[in-house]
Amino acid sequence: MAQLTLDDVTKIFHDDDEGEIVAVDEVSVDIEDGEFLCVVGPSGCGKSTTLRMIAGLEDISSGEIRLGGEVINDQPPAQRDVAMVFQSYALYPHMTVRENMAFGLEQSTDMSEEAIDQQVTEATDLLGIDDLIDRKPGELSGGQQQRVALGRAIVRDPEVFLMDEPLANLDAKLRAEMRTELQHLQERLGVTTVYVTHDQTEAMTMSDRIAILNDGILQQAATPLECYHEPNNMFVAGFIGEPSMNFFDVERQGSTLVADDFEYDLSEETARELGDKTDLTLGIRPEDIEVIDSQSGRHDYEGVVDVVEPRGSENTVHMMFDTSDSATFIATVDGMRDIDWGQHVTVRFPEEAIHVFDTKTGEAVRNRKLDSVEKVEPVV
Amino acid sequence: MSTSTRNPIESLRDMENSRIGLYVVLLFGIVFYLFPMETAVMTMFKTQTEFVETVPFAPPSPDGFTLGALMTAWNTLRPGLVNSMLMAIPATIFSAMAGSLAAYGLTTISWRGQVAVFSIVLAGIFIPYQAVLVPLAQFWYQILPDLMNGFVNTAFGFITGGNWTYPTRSGHVQLLQLSITHAAYGTPMCTLLFRSYYKGISDEMIEAARLDGATAFSIYKNIILPLSLPMFAVTLIYQFTQVYNDLLFALVLVNEPASQVATQRLAALTGGVVQSFNTTMAGAIVAALPTLLVYIFFGEQFAKGVAE
Repeated sequence: MAQLTLDDVTKIFHDDDEGEIVAVDEVSVDIEDGEFLCVVGPSGCGKSTTLRMIAGLEDISSGEIRLGGEVINDQPPAQRDVAMVFQSYALYPHMTVRENMAFGLEQSTDMSEEAIDQQVTEATDLLGIDDLIDRKPGELSGGQQQRVALGRAIVRDPEVFLMDEPLANLDAKLRAEMRTELQHLQERLGVTTVYVTHDQTEAMTMSDRIAILNDGILQQAATPLECYHEPNNMFVAGFIGEPSMNFFDVERQGSTLVADDFEYDLSEETARELGDKTDLTLGIRPEDIEVIDSQSGRHDYEGVVDVVEPRGSENTVHMMFDTSDSATFIATVDGMRDIDWGQHVTVRFPEEAIHVFDTKTGEAVRNRKLDSVEKVEPVV
Repeated sequence: MSTSTRNPIESLRDMENSRIGLYVVLLFGIVFYLFPMETAVMTMFKTQTEFVETVPFAPPSPDGFTLGALMTAWNTLRPGLVNSMLMAIPATIFSAMAGSLAAYGLTTISWRGQVAVFSIVLAGIFIPYQAVLVPLAQFWYQILPDLMNGFVNTAFGFITGGNWTYPTRSGHVQLLQLSITHAAYGTPMCTLLFRSYYKGISDEMIEAARLDGATAFSIYKNIILPLSLPMFAVTLIYQFTQVYNDLLFALVLVNEPASQVATQRLAALTGGVVQSFNTTMAGAIVAALPTLLVYIFFGEQFAKGVAE
């Protein structure tokens, strides 16, 4: 079993000018055997540092990292039974694909040449790069180099794969292809994987669970859908989802949330959930905003279309309330729908879809209801 | 088309200004760099009288042509050339290897105090040779022989009977001492050259190798060394030229005539009472030959190493 556990892992860098910098602050997360965990966050949030600590490339300032129950804090990188894929691929330019992949086995095991060769061949077959085996990295395309980098990790047959933005250098189309392929590969090999990315789409689509970091602090570790629908706080709500969630500063007055541009009536049930907090932020995802023709409900408001970004399947519509210097917000509507700049429309913020956050702490006070999520029953 | 009927004046008028500028610069290049070379080669084949009677850069007339000067120069320099090779090649290789290893340790591996160590190494580049001549001579001629005599006669006294003396007067020993001196003084510069090269090598690649289980030395042997070949060409050419052209250390450290290096022989050749320009020129050309050959054979790698 290769369960990877991070227990209050902290990394403090000492800088001559700025003193101590806490890059990773008491991060605790359990990664199950065979699980695919994406660590996601903005640049400088400590996600790469976390990965490098797992790899053994950075010392751990405090806390513990355990692999299969064994503390690996002080083990050198080579003894940890982890393999890493770097963003730059980090292939050895003077070695052929075969030599690149065999190097790790030559250095860390006393396998015979034939055994190494066989293992390399298996890995290249799996990745479909068996015809490139005698070429050097300089003669390969970005996508092919990426595969070799993956192959170099696979061939080691490690307990844990560590991937540091491995798809960042590929073009959009290839990235989407490799995303699927990586998922297949990971499922097939069943190796515990920690995958670092700044791209929330990658995190959403690939992982079993997402760990969201900001300023070195773990914000939430949950399944993609949980992070999306039930974010712990405003940071997670804003980071996950594209386009991002709309936020409005509101003040609670009785059973009404009063914003600069609108007032939002709360049902008794929702009001109860909010407790006695008054300084709040209302959040709603663009796709939950309904754009309708005429005003009929109590959560309907007048809106003016500002900018329309057609995406084919849907239109991203930037809107304003029908007041002077109003806040802008984003709604997504069907791609076939005809909607134009300057058009006056009615927008509806359905109550079951709203999120409410405590403005001071950022914590979620109320998340959207998941009752409406459809469940597809497997056909027996 | 009118091209065929255009006269030179017309075509000159049509030429772009930048092109004219280029030709002017090239012309200056020819005058400053190639004329002296050409003059030296022409003079080398002239008899003394022919040299006096003709302009320096004119080719020798059939009567005034001689290979005598070249033969004299070759015979005088030949032992020096062999000695120079014996001394310069090992010194060059050692400097390059030591520089490469030191640069690896100072760049790719991180440890406390490496900046201080590198500063000391760097300071070695700026010590003028003249400043160390006396201590250097004292070291090779007094300190080391005393130490060696004491050590050998104490430890192996039962064999030597206490009568062993360090062979300071041996030509081979002197040549070896010169070689070691050059190797030591060349190492800081080589370290600097390799260090700037190694700084450009991707950290992620070294980390990948560490994860692959390679030790520090294995990383050097399998990854750094094969990647440094262009830089080796640069340091080998640079260092060889430096060591080969040096006269100062050779004058101080080698005084056995049989062990004199090419630069010493060249100085002897030109230092006579009667100035015979033809043998002087022939000597200069012969002495410059090895460095020229090194540039010809390693030039391509040199260009690669400098460009990278």
